[in-house]
Amino acid sequence: MIGRQPLFPRKRRREPPVPPNVETGRSRLLITAAIFSVAFIAVTGRLIGMTMFVEKNQPQYSRSFKQVVLETSRADIVDRYGNLLATNLRTASLYADPRLIVDARDAANKLARVLPNLDQRSVYQKLTQKRSFTWIQRHLTPRQKFEVNKLGIPGLDFREEKRRVYPDATLASHILGHTNTDNKGLAGIERYMEASLHKHKKPLQLSIDIRLQHILRSELFSAMRKFRGIGAAGIIMNIRNGEVLGSVSLPDFDPNLPNNIEAASLFNRATLGVYEMGSTFKIFTTAMALDTGKISIKKQYDATNPIRISRFTIRDYHAQRRWLSIPEIFMYSSNIGSVKMVMDVGIATQRSFLKKIGILHPSPVEISEIGKPLLPARWKEINAMTISFGHGLSISPMQLVSGVAAMVNGGIYHPPTFLKKEPKKINKGRRVISEKTSKLIQRLLRLVVTDGTGQRAAAEGYVVGGKTGTTEKIIGQKYNNKKIHISSFIGAFPMNEPQYVVFGMIEEPNVAKKKNVRATGGRVAAPVVGKVIKRIAPLLGIIAVDEHETTLERQLTIDLTVQKKGKRHLASF
Amino acid sequence: MIQRSTTFWMLLAISAGIGLFLLKYEVKSMEGKLVTVHSKTLSNLEETHVLKAEWSYLNQPSRLENLGRRLLDLHPARAVQSTSIENIPLRPVSQTKVIDPPAADQVPPHFAKIRRKQ
Repeated sequence: MIGRQPLFPRKRRREPPVPPNVETGRSRLLITAAIFSVAFIAVTGRLIGMTMFVEKNQPQYSRSFKQVVLETSRADIVDRYGNLLATNLRTASLYADPRLIVDARDAANKLARVLPNLDQRSVYQKLTQKRSFTWIQRHLTPRQKFEVNKLGIPGLDFREEKRRVYPDATLASHILGHTNTDNKGLAGIERYMEASLHKHKKPLQLSIDIRLQHILRSELFSAMRKFRGIGAAGIIMNIRNGEVLGSVSLPDFDPNLPNNIEAASLFNRATLGVYEMGSTFKIFTTAMALDTGKISIKKQYDATNPIRISRFTIRDYHAQRRWLSIPEIFMYSSNIGSVKMVMDVGIATQRSFLKKIGILHPSPVEISEIGKPLLPARWKEINAMTISFGHGLSISPMQLVSGVAAMVNGGIYHPPTFLKKEPKKINKGRRVISEKTSKLIQRLLRLVVTDGTGQRAAAEGYVVGGKTGTTEKIIGQKYNNKKIHISSFIGAFPMNEPQYVVFGMIEEPNVAKKKNVRATGGRVAAPVVGKVIKRIAPLLGIIAVDEHETTLERQLTIDLTVQKKGKRHLASF
Repeated sequence: MIQRSTTFWMLLAISAGIGLFLLKYEVKSMEGKLVTVHSKTLSNLEETHVLKAEWSYLNQPSRLENLGRRLLDLHPARAVQSTSIENIPLRPVSQTKVIDPPAADQVPPHFAKIRRKQ
């Protein structure tokens, strides 16, 4: 044999030629070594790979690479300051396997002691059934679960269930909506945001301020009760960005008990209900007239006689029977004056103006209950006339509020929103009237509260301005002036630098029969808005001012004077 | 030579084996700990979650309003109770005279201004 010899000698010495069988042996060895080294390299590589990197389908018995998060299957909903409005709680539901129960009588007795709303006899019946599964009670509190466990009865067990919980119960029910037992949103934001609530883990933040919501609700509730109305609605909006801070519709419901909700209380009057808004529409009419530039604030109209057109007669409720200046038309809420203003600017202008401020299209607010405005089939002269004082066209309160917000905030329309957005993402809005017109509207609204129909809305120090609205119930084919349909008031404050709009309305209010008074917007809804503003202004950080201070008064007063009855002054500008 | 290198490799292999053995058990116990910590964290998270819901339930504005009305002697601030700093008048001149004026070098600048007005 060859003996020990290096595989690859360094120097080739003159040696006897290697026999061929040795040559083949060497080459076989070389091939084998190569195969082995490839295999070893592969093994090493895999080893490194497995120790250093985590693979997708690798089984993990500890979640050491992930952060621990609570799985809730549906994101929470919080208000603008992070107060919890809706969340998912894991609850334990108690069930029994009657075949495993040893002493049913004793078990029923003990259970009834721990869970007071159980009927001992029916529990006994359940526990003696010949089945292997029966619910005893769904959704126990942690304490009840503990108590049941302490009883130590064999045959009882818990099944974990998820339940949507609304800690504030009825308070924001129409905004939030509710879910069914399968955690599916059935109404409100729960329904509108269904996909995003499932997808995101982060809580959904609303623009609502729960404190303001409470104040608005409680004031509307007491007014509704006082005037025996069948319903009420209210909205608070930040007019600088369209954020809705509070939105109430009464009657409301408790979303925690989805099985006990009456169908009627599900109706959202603030966004789904559409109503003829009445005189609050005169804000739009006046703003439009002034903004066209065709009509000056100094112009006057003859409101001596009612207007007769085809079979209709348009009258003034607070009839003055004389020539009225534009501020007077606004203050006395003259229908005749408003009609004449619209006739001066034209039907097409009116229509395009209302379209611009979102009156002719459903509100873009993020909720599943959105009312479609009811528009006249054909926009004829008579329609234009009645629409000028808010009849013959029905819109939702949300549309009215965002429209009025644009009239008083300097002329910028912001789409209303229920969601709190980062300052950068907030819609910049679009200009709909000039700043000058908006300033005039501010003065006119202030006038209504200082000297006009809305005096009951005053909140000393917060410089409230606003407009009343009253519509009569249609009985048969006619408006019946005995029955009020909607009494509303839309207010803004502080009028020297408007920041918030507050709207309140009561549906079908009644006043005591003996007095010869009507349940008008000024009597029913204006006090609600005044009280709400008094309570929310300090929370919003608005400092009360001296309303009789001269610079403030000069900023907000408007010239009312009508020069000589009957003499028509043509506006010059 | 051969002997020495063999013992070296053998020792290395043995110590690596022992080291691996110890490491494995340590990792295992640490992983066990990690699992308990994780489950504890999860149950704590769950508890906080429930407590948050309860906190929010207890903080219902209507409940707080009732409690405040019953237990506190506080009333909502009225508009007349607030004013701005400019509306507060300066101390009347006659009163400032009563106080012994501090030495000139100790007078704070804003006091000096008032005194100059006298």
